[in-house]
Amino acid sequence: MSAGTPSSDTRQVWLLRGAIVAVVLLGWEALAASGWLFRDVVPSLAAIARALVRLLGNPEFYTNLAATAGEIGVGLAIGGVCGLAAGIAIGANRFVAGAYEALLHYLGPTPKIIFFPVMIMWFGVGAGSKMAMAAISCFFPIAISAAAGMRGIDRVLIRVGRSFRARPWQMVTKIYLPAMRAPVLTGVRLGLGVAIIGTLLAETKLSNRGIGFLIIQAYSTFDMPRMYALLIVLFALAIGLNTLIGRFGRHSR
Amino acid sequence: MQPSVTVAAPAPASAAATPLLDVERVSKRFVTPEGPFTAIDDVSFTVAPGEFVSVIGPSGCGKSTLFNIIGGLVGDYEGRVRVAGTGITGTHAGIGMVFQEESTFPWRTVLENVAFPLELAGMQKEERLARARHFVSLVGLSGFERRHPAELSGGMRQRVSIARTLASEPAILLMDEPFAALDEQTRVILGDKVLQIQQQLKQTTLLITHNLTEAVQLSDRVLVMTYRPGRLKRIVDIELPHPRDSDVVGSERFGRYVAEIWHDLREEATRGLEADEAQARAAGPRS
Amino acid sequence: MSETPATARSRMAAHAAGAGTVLAGVVLVEALIRAGVINGFVVPLPSAILAAFPRVIVEENVLHRFWQTTQEVMWAALLLAVFGVGLGALLYRYRLLRRACETWVAALAAAPIVLMYPLFLVIFGRSATTIVAIGFAAGLSAVILKTVEGLAGTRRVLLDVGRSFRLTPAQQFRMILLPSALPSIFVGLRLGLIFAMINIVGVEFLINFGGLGQLINDLAERYDLPATYAAIFFVVLVSVVFFVVTERLERWAQRSA
Repeated sequence: MSAGTPSSDTRQVWLLRGAIVAVVLLGWEALAASGWLFRDVVPSLAAIARALVRLLGNPEFYTNLAATAGEIGVGLAIGGVCGLAAGIAIGANRFVAGAYEALLHYLGPTPKIIFFPVMIMWFGVGAGSKMAMAAISCFFPIAISAAAGMRGIDRVLIRVGRSFRARPWQMVTKIYLPAMRAPVLTGVRLGLGVAIIGTLLAETKLSNRGIGFLIIQAYSTFDMPRMYALLIVLFALAIGLNTLIGRFGRHSR
Repeated sequence: MQPSVTVAAPAPASAAATPLLDVERVSKRFVTPEGPFTAIDDVSFTVAPGEFVSVIGPSGCGKSTLFNIIGGLVGDYEGRVRVAGTGITGTHAGIGMVFQEESTFPWRTVLENVAFPLELAGMQKEERLARARHFVSLVGLSGFERRHPAELSGGMRQRVSIARTLASEPAILLMDEPFAALDEQTRVILGDKVLQIQQQLKQTTLLITHNLTEAVQLSDRVLVMTYRPGRLKRIVDIELPHPRDSDVVGSERFGRYVAEIWHDLREEATRGLEADEAQARAAGPRS
Repeated sequence: MSETPATARSRMAAHAAGAGTVLAGVVLVEALIRAGVINGFVVPLPSAILAAFPRVIVEENVLHRFWQTTQEVMWAALLLAVFGVGLGALLYRYRLLRRACETWVAALAAAPIVLMYPLFLVIFGRSATTIVAIGFAAGLSAVILKTVEGLAGTRRVLLDVGRSFRLTPAQQFRMILLPSALPSIFVGLRLGLIFAMINIVGVEFLINFGGLGQLINDLAERYDLPATYAAIFFVVLVSVVFFVVTERLERWAQRSA
């Protein structure tokens, strides 16, 4: 039961965070300098910083980033729309739910990357297969959240819509979707996360464009500082996007 | 597990023998953003061995604060609390607490719950389970030893909590509105049961309650507290014969005690309501 | 919460309808391929895929591969139980540490950990260690967060009971906090295990090492399409079974906890 005032507590938290970061960085640098692990597996912080600067200054990085972003974007759009539609259908109708919800629930937690060879066959070795990976990855969390969201809608709102003789499309856009905003947003957050993973893993496996391609390229040329730089940028973007969506959800209440 | 009761202190004027529990000028003040705030103010009383004393007061009179202080869960207060002559510092082995909320361990059976204090004391498994069985039957739950609390009703769960505390054989049984969450009939019947046990064991008991009939039905003395800041307003000796059962609730003398205490309580409860109203008015409408 | 016969019947009917439509879809695909509408080289005949199942199971030593993957999952499970719960308990115990790190752990959950596999490849090589390490890293966040949640969710009055009986901190943890948190910890372990399993199979596929994931990669590189599809279905089946089994286990554990 600490007797500190709120401001001194926050100060302590930030001090501790700073201390942890400092220890990690120092430990890293020590490991790098010691040469204990073989050359460059743990590059010095300076080397990583240099690689980071080089990376962010290189237009090639941005074209690849755009390629990946495009693949994720299209995949998210396709998977999202299909997921929403499926989720709404399942949430709205108990019979449909009985028929297909189990499929969603049980197929959701499976490794989607194993479908990649099939996606290649169907959509080619280019961007198409990556978009497909993103789509099948994000379909499930979005559909599941949408179904739960549908079920959570206050029944009276649906009766209001019916009493005003709203047509199905109007019901969806003016009642269902606004009412489901929070769970759907959560689903999209999750969906984005798995879409990023699906696309990038596919790029590491078979691609000649994209961030995943750059990562595997750095691996095969044993350019470790560059790999770390890429991973840092990737993680920063992924976590940043996730936080942004979270904030957006909270503000639009 | 009984602490040795040494009669060392000189006998206070109000009791022939050393009181088992001695609460002396206990006050508790808080510092809030709105300024200093006194929960209880200069409360003093004693409980003699074998006595059943109730503390009654309106909501907001600091009863639960008093409970936590005597039980040793709150350390920062003015005044002294003594058990058998020695001041307490934190929780005391001689004080057994029964809380208002659900406090049975959901992952243990009834028997294991009741055996808990015996387990802590290092008793061997067979012995402590046998001993626990005794207390389980004391509260009337024989046959339910192997059940889990989730399978029992609220009243039965409170009985388990009481049995568990009794199993530690405390010098003083301290209870904070143990029947508050129960319906009236269950409450009366359980109250009966607790009184029976108390008389049988000669268990010194301090009961915190807001229920008037309960206080008069069970106690030898009732301490009436004022609304915030909580002070001792009145002490009423209940001279109803033992053994008492819920039938005594209908008697005339009972009615008179209730009326007498209600007169004081109502004053305080009204003050409490008015104070709450004033506070809500001062806070203004919510934006 | 028992169903009426009518609701039970309509539920069965729904299940049947769902299964029926899926089957109908498969038959439709078969027909379309035979009719030449769908290219049989891109989508093999469902009947061929079915025929490939026994071939794959026998020739490709599926049982042995399944055991390999299972071992990797079991190692990840052990590491998660020890370090995940341990770190969670540590975070609960030291409030300052928790306030400092909890958001980081939550952010970790959103991070695409598996994308670090090329890094792990460099450090551990193409080995089971890489696979187990990624599985462990993927599931860690869930276990830590659920452990903290469970411990922190212990009802205040139960802690007061412990204090009123003068328990030492170690006794308080062992006899009250841990049992109270167990349901939540089980949920976390299950979640962590699921994430671990998914990533383990995925990484096996990607680095072409290990059990079932590697099988798919192998068959795909050999262009044996029906077998590839069959292997994929098989792996999906295994992961579904894993999901269901852990779901039952969790429910059983929560009932007896």
